[in-house]
Amino acid sequence: MIVFYMDNNLYLPENEILRVEDLVVKFYTYAGVVHAVSGVSFYVKNGEAIALVGETGCGKTVTTRAITRLIESPGRVESGRALFRRPNGVVVDLLKVDPETLREIRGKEIAYIFQDPTSALDPLYTIGFHIHETIAEHSKNIKKKYTFKKAVELLRQALIPNPEVRVKNYPHEMSGGMRQRSVIAISLSNSPRLLIADEPTTNLDVTIQAQILDLLRGLQEQYKMGVILITHNLGIVAEMANRVYVMYAGKIVEEGTTEQIFYNPQHPYTKLLLRAVPDPTKRVEKLESIPGVVPSLINPPLGCRFHPRCPFATTKCASEEPPMIQVENEHRVSCWLFEKS
Amino acid sequence: MGMASFLVRRFLTFIPTLIGVLLITYLIAYAIPADPVRAWVGEKLMNPQTLEQIRVKYKFNAPWYEQFTFLVQQLLTGQLEDPVRHRNVFTEITSRFGVTVEVAIVGFLFLVAIGIPLGLLAAVFKDTPVDFAVRIMALVGSSLPAFVLYYFLILLLFVYTKTTYLAGIPEPTMACKTTISTLPHNTPILGHLASALGSVPMFSAIMCGEFNVVVDTFKRLYLPGLALGLLNGGFIARIVRNSLLDALSAEFILYGKARGLRRLSVWKHALKNAMVPVVTVLGLNFGGLLSGAIIAETVFNIPGIGRYMYEAIMRLNFPVIIACTFLVAVIYVTVNLVVDILYAVIDPRIRY
Amino acid sequence: MEFMYKALKKVIWLYANAREKFSPGWITKNSSRIREWELMAYAYSKSPIGVVGGIIVFVVFILSVIGPMISWEPYWEYKIVINESYRYMPPCLPPSCSGNPLLGTDEWGRDVLAMSLYGMRISFVISIVVVLLGAPLGIILGLLAGYKGGLIDEVLMRVTDIFLAFPGLVLAIAFASVLPQRLRGVLEANSALRVFFASLFGLREAEYGQIAALLSIWFAMVIVWWPGYARIVRGSTLSVKEMPFIEAAKLSGLSTWSILFRHLLPNVISPILVMMTFDIATATLFAAALSFLGLGPQEPVPELGFMISKAGQFFPERSSHVVIYLGSLLLFIAIGWNLLGDALRDILDPRTRRAIEYRLEKEKKKRG
Repeated sequence: MIVFYMDNNLYLPENEILRVEDLVVKFYTYAGVVHAVSGVSFYVKNGEAIALVGETGCGKTVTTRAITRLIESPGRVESGRALFRRPNGVVVDLLKVDPETLREIRGKEIAYIFQDPTSALDPLYTIGFHIHETIAEHSKNIKKKYTFKKAVELLRQALIPNPEVRVKNYPHEMSGGMRQRSVIAISLSNSPRLLIADEPTTNLDVTIQAQILDLLRGLQEQYKMGVILITHNLGIVAEMANRVYVMYAGKIVEEGTTEQIFYNPQHPYTKLLLRAVPDPTKRVEKLESIPGVVPSLINPPLGCRFHPRCPFATTKCASEEPPMIQVENEHRVSCWLFEKS
Repeated sequence: MGMASFLVRRFLTFIPTLIGVLLITYLIAYAIPADPVRAWVGEKLMNPQTLEQIRVKYKFNAPWYEQFTFLVQQLLTGQLEDPVRHRNVFTEITSRFGVTVEVAIVGFLFLVAIGIPLGLLAAVFKDTPVDFAVRIMALVGSSLPAFVLYYFLILLLFVYTKTTYLAGIPEPTMACKTTISTLPHNTPILGHLASALGSVPMFSAIMCGEFNVVVDTFKRLYLPGLALGLLNGGFIARIVRNSLLDALSAEFILYGKARGLRRLSVWKHALKNAMVPVVTVLGLNFGGLLSGAIIAETVFNIPGIGRYMYEAIMRLNFPVIIACTFLVAVIYVTVNLVVDILYAVIDPRIRY
Repeated sequence: MEFMYKALKKVIWLYANAREKFSPGWITKNSSRIREWELMAYAYSKSPIGVVGGIIVFVVFILSVIGPMISWEPYWEYKIVINESYRYMPPCLPPSCSGNPLLGTDEWGRDVLAMSLYGMRISFVISIVVVLLGAPLGIILGLLAGYKGGLIDEVLMRVTDIFLAFPGLVLAIAFASVLPQRLRGVLEANSALRVFFASLFGLREAEYGQIAALLSIWFAMVIVWWPGYARIVRGSTLSVKEMPFIEAAKLSGLSTWSILFRHLLPNVISPILVMMTFDIATATLFAAALSFLGLGPQEPVPELGFMISKAGQFFPERSSHVVIYLGSLLLFIAIGWNLLGDALRDILDPRTRRAIEYRLEKEKKKRG
């Protein structure tokens, strides 16, 4: 088995834990084929936090779910690779690995924080049981007594007051913020190497948001995890991420370090997106918004997918897809404006 | 609110329901223009003196509310007498209800054995010919006139293949019956419980270890059981299928997969969540069976509560009608209560 | 199944044009509603289960309406009086029939096929009317209980509980044994009622005693039928009434009745329509079961359940053809309604309609 996975093609640089290449995901719905993710590539270095940013429906969640093959019918991962380095040093392609290995990786080496903690938790089981299950399914001969002790510890780490009591609570007996923290605790049960946090703070009060972000950052340092953060909230990005990928309509339009994206945005979409964030220190007459609507992914626009809404669009933008163009070290943008002639 | 106060509140709501049922039964009976006493006694014994005696005994000359309170009082003190058979109504009901319980158990086993596996299959093979076949089976099952199905099952399994018989109900030996009927004298509480359970022949046979009687009971009753299973099995299967598919498409199933749960554990989550509606429907179905399947009892010649009730109505036998409707109403409220409690056991969100 | 869609569309527009005549501007005001109806018609015409069910129901409807008129044998004439050999004649194949009835005869020597035409009318009228009377009663009470809450809710639900705690069959049996004598008197006294009900059931006026028995089954079933609706409607009313648009309607000063019928009812009606369709099948079988037990009309009325129970006494030696044919007929009627209900459930689901809308638009685009 191991020999098979040490195939020469599966090369992953030593400092990276995950590298996704040319990921394509389509949904075959009654209304037509939805091109949800079209050729997305990105990587995560060891212990680094990256952010996937974009409007609702741009394919952020689908991208991360596709990596661990959590896309269900009618969706299908069409092509691409997702190279992942397991703790034993073996590199595997998550999209091709056999189901049992994939199961071992899920929840133990790659953990998820789902978007909506309310529906992610089974209402018929306690938080403690969720943690117990997550640990027990990944190791042999684990006693319930031990896992429940571990669960209390994890809940305490996730800043849940009274963890000894809360461990026996059912999801409906907790508040939204509490549930979110419980999901974080569940995700950390097996000290994962990579954490995918899908909108971990939506639907929460601002104060709780800050708490949860602090918590995630602390835990990231403690466990030396790679983190993929999905959000449409640029404030969170600035606070947590080392690097940022900006997504639009199923494609990555710009990538760079957080400083590069915030202080030197290149793609027209990134610029508009940043401008749409109100500055709390200034009085604004009118909130900025990006004109036009998110395109349908059933018939995505030809050429650059942003061209119908782009103030700088040329005829070329409407016919040819722009490549990724390097503008700085680590800073790349997919836009014809930066074509070096 | 705790379970105890919930139970108390529920028991309080039983009272108006049961009184209402009794009152309506009585009013219907009262509205009958025919003379019930003549119907009870039959044409032969038209002795005016006897008739008058019975009239006085059942207070037919008194105003309606006195009649009613008389009946209710007799009912609650267990003294009500079957004026046709001249026996205590409760003794009659106990023996017949025992048989109905047996039919209900056998029917319920068939229902579960047919409905649940088919439902699981239909969910696993969703939108395939298997699923479609279960859908059609449910539709045919609920469209088939029960009595016609009964006739054909009798034709197939009794007349042609002789795999069952249609007379009598297997009973435990006399010695066994005597032992059980003396139990209450020896051990007060447990003994009463055992003798109550023992009114179902199958149960007393089990208690005495006479398992051949149990086997015989199944041989005798599998035909009505199969019929009841075939009629409602498809419907149960559809409920199982739909609730399982609902549960499987829930976000927590995907999260379970994301947590790397084994396939078996993922299914455990789905099945437990799918159980709530299934338990309801099965519970109500069992309650329905306990109230006596009148047509099945008539066609399969089973001396159960349904036929007793039917005969009583045909002979305007009010005391029996009132006692039987009371029993059925008690079954209804109890089954509903049990279903609610089962709910709370399965689903922690439901607390009273 | 294009014809189904075209026919239904025609019906929709017929209705719309009629409304337009009474209140000009109705069509433009309700264009989105008409569009929705057309989509439903389209979804229906694409559902094989629904189309089969619809065709069966249509055939049953036509036969029930014209059955007693085209039936070639009067049900009150017993052929066995002429010749005993007419009793339980077996069915025959057409070339060798030589004037004998195709599906054989019943106990009285009557042509089973001709009798079933009367029987279909009776069971059709009973089942439809039971559901059409029982459901609205339950719906109104359920809406009231759910919307008003408090004491009204408590009282209505206790009453509903009482009727649910009664086993349906027992209540119906009780009614069926109590009512006929009373109704008989009423019919005897009132010739207009007698004529009305006789023509409704397709029977002779002289059978008013039997008509009274039918009416009492009918009445008993209505009493049994409404509590189920009341419960379900109350449940969905409780959840709908918490929605903001009900709050808005209340604040704008609408009367309780118009909130109930204009705002609550349309939001709870879909599952009820499906349930009503299924219930017509159940009512058909229930009525047949009551007559099977001997609680309905007696001879000479050719009620389907009653004829089966008569034939059942000689089953299977002499009368299997009667049981098989009449049993299949009941199955045919019930399965028509059940198929239709199963399809309706899909069609009334707004998600199905949106999906179809999408597909239609795409097709339109392709055509240019």
